[in-house]
Amino acid sequence: MAKTSTTAAHGARDAHDAHTEHAGHAHISRGTYYKVFAALMVLMALTVGAWWIEGMIALPRLLGVTIAMAIAIAKTTLIILYFMHVKVSERATQLYAGAAFVGFAIMVIITMADYFARGWPPPPGPLP
Amino acid sequence: MATTTPTAKPAPAHEHGHEAHGRELAHHFESAQQQKETATLGMWVFLVTEIMLFGGIFMAYIVYRWAFPDVWAEAAHHLNTPLGAVNTVVLLVSSLTVALAVNAAEEGNRRRLLTMLGITLLLGATFLVIKGFEYSEKFAHCAGAADPVAWVTGGARLEERECLVPGRNFVFPEAHGAEGSKGAGAAHGAEAGHAQPQAGLGSPYQLFYFLYFVATGLHAVHMVIGLTIVSVLTFIAWRGVITPTYYTPIEVGGLYWHLIDIIWVFLFPLFYLVH
Repeated sequence: MAKTSTTAAHGARDAHDAHTEHAGHAHISRGTYYKVFAALMVLMALTVGAWWIEGMIALPRLLGVTIAMAIAIAKTTLIILYFMHVKVSERATQLYAGAAFVGFAIMVIITMADYFARGWPPPPGPLP
Repeated sequence: MATTTPTAKPAPAHEHGHEAHGRELAHHFESAQQQKETATLGMWVFLVTEIMLFGGIFMAYIVYRWAFPDVWAEAAHHLNTPLGAVNTVVLLVSSLTVALAVNAAEEGNRRRLLTMLGITLLLGATFLVIKGFEYSEKFAHCAGAADPVAWVTGGARLEERECLVPGRNFVFPEAHGAEGSKGAGAAHGAEAGHAQPQAGLGSPYQLFYFLYFVATGLHAVHMVIGLTIVSVLTFIAWRGVITPTYYTPIEVGGLYWHLIDIIWVFLFPLFYLVH
């Protein structure tokens, strides 16, 4: 109930001085930026650390690539959500940001499906 | 036209109707907030095309690495991983400073905004200098010099022939390649048979370095564009154009900078951290 009235008051104020003030605009604080940066540094250390350990012990190659890519995707998600403000952006912006990666996934799936249809892994020598 | 009312000063066409809001708000928008959201969405549409541009390179990378994992493992050992890691940190810090610049613009703190943009420029330049050193190392080896400084001064020569720049003179160092492949080959099984190191266009290792130079080169071009954008932003912030109501240029320019950072976040493990 209290929440509804606050929202209503908010809307009224927004309509009143929409040109000058935007108190209703969601905002990411500096503290959050520092936390996200710390997380990015930890992930950075993790990815180099994982590579260094993989150089000493025999791990399946697929596992190594999966770890590296999982860390890269985690970093990207943090950057997009917080540094690029997608978390507090309007829905249309969020849709576009997501669509880019869906589009890339479609390209990978169709291309690899074609290669698999021609026989994968390929025989030694240049790809057909 | 001007002669009809010589006494009245012709008012600039854009002066009318701005009493209710700042000059920066175009008339087809209801509020500065809506104008900023529209610009942000437009920038994202452009960023999608950028992701598809780099996406093509990543697609080629996926196909070739999947097809030739052993070639990848050996070739990647000749990249300078410590410098690549330093560059990753440099770019991540620059992303933080850009985010803080947007925050300073939002809060109307011009001094902090200028400081953050300045640090971003320095970090971007640092990245390009380090990347340039890595490139010049590869080109110096092709010229037979041990390092870029020796290349210029005519100093120490490279003991073993090596040229990792794709082209007719491409030579993948045989001894190092065999040494590096011992562990990898034993660990991962060499059932596919190791590709024999060859010189020139026939060398399979060229594929890795071709993708490396194309991907990091295109990324470096984006860095140069990004540095130009941040320079312009610094100039307009210094001129006082940026206010808490109108900081869209900082926001949108920042989005571009973060995208460059994201591309590098993927390029680094894909080229420097390969086994």
